[in-house]
Amino acid sequence: MEGREAIADYLQAEFPFLEDTGVLSPYPGGRSAGLQRLEQFQLEKYGKQRNFLDGEVGRLSPYISRGCMELEEVRQWALKRGKSNSVEKFVSELAWRAFFHLVYEEEGDRILKDMEKPKVSMRQHQTTLPEDIANGETGIPSMDTFIAMLKETGYLHNHARMYLASYIVHFRHVSWRAGADWMYGLLIDGDFASNHLSWQWVASTFSHKPYIFNRENLERYAGSVLPGDPRKGDPFNYSYEELSEQLFGGEYQPEQSRTSGSYR
Amino acid sequence: MSALVWFNEDGLNPQHQMVQDYADSPKVYVFDVEYLQRWAIAKHRIQFIYESLLEIPNIEIYKGETVAVLRQLITDYGVNEVVTSETPNHLVKSWQDELLKYTSLITYPEVYPTIDSRPRRFSHYWRKCDREWLTL
Repeated sequence: MEGREAIADYLQAEFPFLEDTGVLSPYPGGRSAGLQRLEQFQLEKYGKQRNFLDGEVGRLSPYISRGCMELEEVRQWALKRGKSNSVEKFVSELAWRAFFHLVYEEEGDRILKDMEKPKVSMRQHQTTLPEDIANGETGIPSMDTFIAMLKETGYLHNHARMYLASYIVHFRHVSWRAGADWMYGLLIDGDFASNHLSWQWVASTFSHKPYIFNRENLERYAGSVLPGDPRKGDPFNYSYEELSEQLFGGEYQPEQSRTSGSYR
Repeated sequence: MSALVWFNEDGLNPQHQMVQDYADSPKVYVFDVEYLQRWAIAKHRIQFIYESLLEIPNIEIYKGETVAVLRQLITDYGVNEVVTSETPNHLVKSWQDELLKYTSLITYPEVYPTIDSRPRRFSHYWRKCDREWLTL
């Protein structure tokens, strides 16, 4: 640990413009740390638990995104475990990464703009990130917890990224680009392909519909890691029909049930 | 041919094929200060990259403007090609394009199944390639 602290001090001196979080990320860099994580990853639990914030996920993304490990070798590692629902789910998540790269490879920096027309109106969305979000002081403990996790660790569970993006774009009416740029810088695994295209997926400029969540969904998948939000004035405590009316003025009708957690 | 192996932030693998193919070539990484500031790259990412670089034997780590630093290194080492790993990152690609004015460039591609049509939905991509993905 001493070594990592010395590195942190050295980097702070070399790059004085960096904000010093005062803590080390729990994700040490390097291929060996990535391989170690792979060894500890209980892939057999992934299929059932992956959408839960306290469920078993690989947390390999920093190592794959930064190229410490190749996507192909992780794919082979998984397939050597034999066939199972977990293996298939995990490999399909690796394929999402490749899919995003394929789109980025073809589109170049056009992925920084709307890929498609949004399916709900976004003309009034503000183009800069509000300070309370950047500072993790929205007043909603759940969202502030996600923001604090992101800043303190440089990582967020995929479902938390989706909640946060949805909150920022649809509940706060901030352009997806402002949120995506902000998150890109904070993530160890920041990658324009996965990050910006996922924000567009949430926004509905790279999907058929906007991604929204409600209290029931948040509690089910993330409740165990969240401090609990006040009931009064809770922006999430509605049915999807009610939320759709409030957020999109009835422009978009959600499907009857979106509590499955299959947010992709 | 003498070469310079240039790592980018999307390819920090000490076991990468290019490292094996160019084992005797100098290996370098450049922290591009303008990029780090423009995109407000957080310290955790920079530390992660730095720690990853420490696992690459004999890596030389620089900071500055990527292309300017590489041009200087090309001159200093007297190399006539730069070897690197491919990434879709448009910023890295623009550095690669700029470098091409001064040297030849060898890029090692990313490995994953591709399709001919322009994919717009993952479901389409997955339907076309799921077997390839799920077969060893």
